[in-house]
Amino acid sequence: MSDPLALFVIFLKAAALGMGGYGSLPVLREDLLLTGLATDEQLVQALAVGRFSTGPNGTYIVSLGYFAGGIGGAVAALVASCLPPLVMVPLVAFARGRLLSPGFAGFSRGVLLAISGLLLAFGVAILAPQGPGGLAWWHIALAIGALAVTIQGRIHPALLIGLGAAAGLVLGR
Amino acid sequence: MANAPSGPVRLGDLARAWIAVGTQSIGGASSTVYLMRLRLVERTGWLTRREFMESYSLSQLSPGIHLVALAGLIGHRLAGIRGVGVSVAGMMVPAAIITVALSAALSGAAGHPLTGAAFAGIGPVTAGMTAGLAVISARGTVRRGARGALDVAVIALAFLAFVGTAISPAVVIIAFGLAGIVALRHDRPETGRGPESE
Repeated sequence: MSDPLALFVIFLKAAALGMGGYGSLPVLREDLLLTGLATDEQLVQALAVGRFSTGPNGTYIVSLGYFAGGIGGAVAALVASCLPPLVMVPLVAFARGRLLSPGFAGFSRGVLLAISGLLLAFGVAILAPQGPGGLAWWHIALAIGALAVTIQGRIHPALLIGLGAAAGLVLGR
Repeated sequence: MANAPSGPVRLGDLARAWIAVGTQSIGGASSTVYLMRLRLVERTGWLTRREFMESYSLSQLSPGIHLVALAGLIGHRLAGIRGVGVSVAGMMVPAAIITVALSAALSGAAGHPLTGAAFAGIGPVTAGMTAGLAVISARGTVRRGARGALDVAVIALAFLAFVGTAISPAVVIIAFGLAGIVALRHDRPETGRGPESE
């Protein structure tokens, strides 16, 4: 079981560097995988749990904290992921003009674009290792289908996860 | 829509509204934003639509989970600094408890062959959904014309840095953020993205 303080630092860093709930994923993956605190399999499980749970997209972070460090890890992940966004409260109160400056706009755009590229790469990275049998045609078909449906936005994410599970039960045994 | 509050909103009422948001919004940002608007604008009239959208837009500039920033901004507007704590805790703590319960249930079933088979399908779907979120995020950020080509180049470089080098994603994010101050500063901050990109 991992030290909650060490997990807190990892989750705090990821939340501070990411923009949006999923923006933390690339940094989280690197820090948790390199330190052996979590696996790609657990990342996928946490993302799936997050889609079935309530609240914002970022609740997968709490699930990941639980997988890495039990209840203490979940608490560390929850607190750490809530702190960086709250910097906006004093910023809006005291430096609202700066938030709307061209320089901050450029910074924000650079971060968002980088995160888009990293998230795309993350999707490819978690697709690659699909069990001992390797990557099958239906893995790729499912990924492409999920990509298209997500962009279209007409199917509830939890239903999409459920369909993936059903496909796995039929084709993956 | 009800009338705007004449004074600060009572913390108990605020907590009830946020707990409802945190426990009833399944599936991510879209449903969460919908419920926030329903509870805070339409039903109670604590915020006008314009105030809600202004807070929403500002929250899009925050690090981390944007909806936590939105809860904090709205809580501060409605009940001061204590409102920040009540709003964020009201939304996140019940959601976290539900998440931990689901995670524990999954951990208990992790060794079962059927769970393994199900995740053989969930894995690729999650990969595709993550890539889809990247596309949605990029679609709301990439500009038109020649500047758009520069934006796409940044995305491609970040992608290549992740798959083809050992450079830390943290370094990639900071580097492109700083580069953006110089090279990508022509427009106002992007605040018009859809909630699903959060």
